[in-house]
Amino acid sequence: MRNKLKFLIKTSLKRKVDTKWFKIVNIVLCLIIVCALNIDSIISFFGGDFNEKMQVYVIDNMDGNVYDVFSSQINASTTMLTTGTDNDYDIKKYDKTLEEAKEEVKDNKKIIVLEFNDSKENVMDVTLLSKEYMDLKDMTILNTAINNTKVAYSIIAYNINPEDLAKIYEGVDVNRVFLDEEKNDTSENTEVIMSTVFPVVILPFFMLTIILIQMIGAEVNDEKTTRSMEIIISNVSPETHLTAKIIAGNLFVIIQAVLLVAYAIIGFLIRRYTGGAAIAGGVSDYIVGVVDSIKGTPFMATLGYVIPLVVILLIITFIAYSLLAGILAAMTTNIEDFQQLQTPMVVVSLAGYYLAMLAGMFKGSLFIRLLSYVPLISAILSPSLLVLGEIGVIDVLIAILISIGFVYLLIKYGIRIYKVGILNYSSKDLWKKMFKAMKTKKV
Amino acid sequence: MLEVKNVTKYYGDFKAVDNLSFTVKPGEIFGLLGINGAGKTTTFRMIMGLLEPTEGEVLLDGKKIDYSVTDSIGFLTEERSLLTKLKVSEQVLYYGKLKGMDEETIMKRLDVLLEKFEIPQYKNTLIKELSKGNQQKIQFITAVINEPKLLILDEPFSGLDPFNVEMFKKEIVELAKKGSIIIFSSHRMEHVELFCKKIVILLAGKSVIEGNLKDIKKKYKKKNIFIKGDIDIDEISKIKGVYDVEEHGDEYLVKIEDESVCDDVFNKVKKYKNITKFEMEEASLNEIFVSKVGEAYEK
Repeated sequence: MRNKLKFLIKTSLKRKVDTKWFKIVNIVLCLIIVCALNIDSIISFFGGDFNEKMQVYVIDNMDGNVYDVFSSQINASTTMLTTGTDNDYDIKKYDKTLEEAKEEVKDNKKIIVLEFNDSKENVMDVTLLSKEYMDLKDMTILNTAINNTKVAYSIIAYNINPEDLAKIYEGVDVNRVFLDEEKNDTSENTEVIMSTVFPVVILPFFMLTIILIQMIGAEVNDEKTTRSMEIIISNVSPETHLTAKIIAGNLFVIIQAVLLVAYAIIGFLIRRYTGGAAIAGGVSDYIVGVVDSIKGTPFMATLGYVIPLVVILLIITFIAYSLLAGILAAMTTNIEDFQQLQTPMVVVSLAGYYLAMLAGMFKGSLFIRLLSYVPLISAILSPSLLVLGEIGVIDVLIAILISIGFVYLLIKYGIRIYKVGILNYSSKDLWKKMFKAMKTKKV
Repeated sequence: MLEVKNVTKYYGDFKAVDNLSFTVKPGEIFGLLGINGAGKTTTFRMIMGLLEPTEGEVLLDGKKIDYSVTDSIGFLTEERSLLTKLKVSEQVLYYGKLKGMDEETIMKRLDVLLEKFEIPQYKNTLIKELSKGNQQKIQFITAVINEPKLLILDEPFSGLDPFNVEMFKKEIVELAKKGSIIIFSSHRMEHVELFCKKIVILLAGKSVIEGNLKDIKKKYKKKNIFIKGDIDIDEISKIKGVYDVEEHGDEYLVKIEDESVCDDVFNKVKKYKNITKFEMEEASLNEIFVSKVGEAYEK
């Protein structure tokens, strides 16, 4: 029987992997992932002025100090309002008039002219000249810098010396105090970062769950509707058959996951060797930034046991989804019925995904915490809450134990439904039959 | 030997098979007959070990049928049980491997059987691209690829033309000669008559006729007389014991209640001219089936 199990797994897997559609889909996936990771380079390749710095010409019609003040303020505003470290602006002191500047601006949309004039009512007036509309980022930075320049200029006018002025503009050191001695501001920052990063990390899990449900369901349903099931089940037990489907389904998902990671690596390698990151603040910069911010934090130290626990929870959840998909497919008499029946499973998985994203917004929610113990969604929700510090390792262990119990019940009662379902071709009194099967040990 | 001993199967309150018993020896071809819903498929499933009888037992060579003996059983279902997306060789390999066979043996036997059924060119063709008749041939090949000790054939001639039916018959008889136990189900009684020495006719899960086909026919009182010549149908119909007269081409089929009526018919017929045939035959299995099932229905 063990050889037949191996054979069934091999055949089932081969039927999915050794097809032209699997190859075509994976070529498409590879292209999409590689392109997504290099999207900035691709955009740059087709032309554009993304890396060209904005030229900011400053006409200082006041006392000549405005240019220096504005230069320092625009640097400060850029640092405060963007994640990038590079300054996107090239500031120049412009000695000509605004009328003369117009001649230069009319042929170049990367030039902005700022004319500072005295104002009795408002300290200073500013004229901002550009060829076209400016984007929101430039507008925000320039407005902030101009307003700060006005304040700084006024302070200087009151004869405050430069050292004091520098102190005024320096950021305030906030001394973070926690009553919980185990908490610290580094891990607090990590939580904030992870609450935004984690939904992205668990997205593949959600996708793979859907693939798993569809693969097992479609295969069981196909064998049933073609009546091949009768021949198969007359040679191997329903338990062996379902086990083979579950193992093959999960192996397929693992293969697909490995391939997705491989495509991502290819994408990053291409980015690296083609001089990617053409646009500052691209995907890789973001990932590097996230990794750097996690490095050396207490969170990093916990990964040693958090990752194995999460992996165990994921495996158990995948098994639960596989069992459920197999059992539901056995109950249905055609693929349309199975598609209807798989919808609640997809919705449950989707709900888990959304809850994981919302978890950061509803900190301390008892409802979400309780849901993190619920099988099928715990694999997504528990790790999210753990990362956010909402639950501890003990809670993840509880979620694992509850999932194991759920899988046990699915095996104990679900296999009875499976045995009856795979040989049932009528949808009449279906649920009655299935409930009866659940109570009957002997089929 | 296959022994079905007092087998009863309930689905909830519904009795699908009621105290059914029969035995089939190696080399015998046994007919399991009945109208739709009579309990044939349930019986097959119990023989295959797919369903557990509520009462009674099914034994093959004295052993309960379970997954330790199913490798030596072949099963051809009424509906096509083929994975149509597979190639012929892949399908046969799949079922053969599930029977515990090795790939080399499967492929050797597949080549022989494809030659026998005159379709070697389809070895690497997708099943969905084959005609209905050729799909049935492939299904038959998958059922016999393991040279089964017990072969269950549920409507094996479905979708076959007369030429292919002959081909199948030859192969089934050959398997029986080699010692296979064959259980056969068909709605076509002429097929059953040709093959089966023993039959069971099921109605609502219960056996209404069982035993040796010859004995059943002998015991069945109604007979048929075939007459060729210029006869007066009305006069023949009026003879006591004649319950029907039918025209079959240039012959007449006179159906009589029992053998004793034959003399009365003969006495009447000998008065007519140009009589070239007068032959009494036993009733066909089809008539017996219709009559017995009809009687049971009326009850």
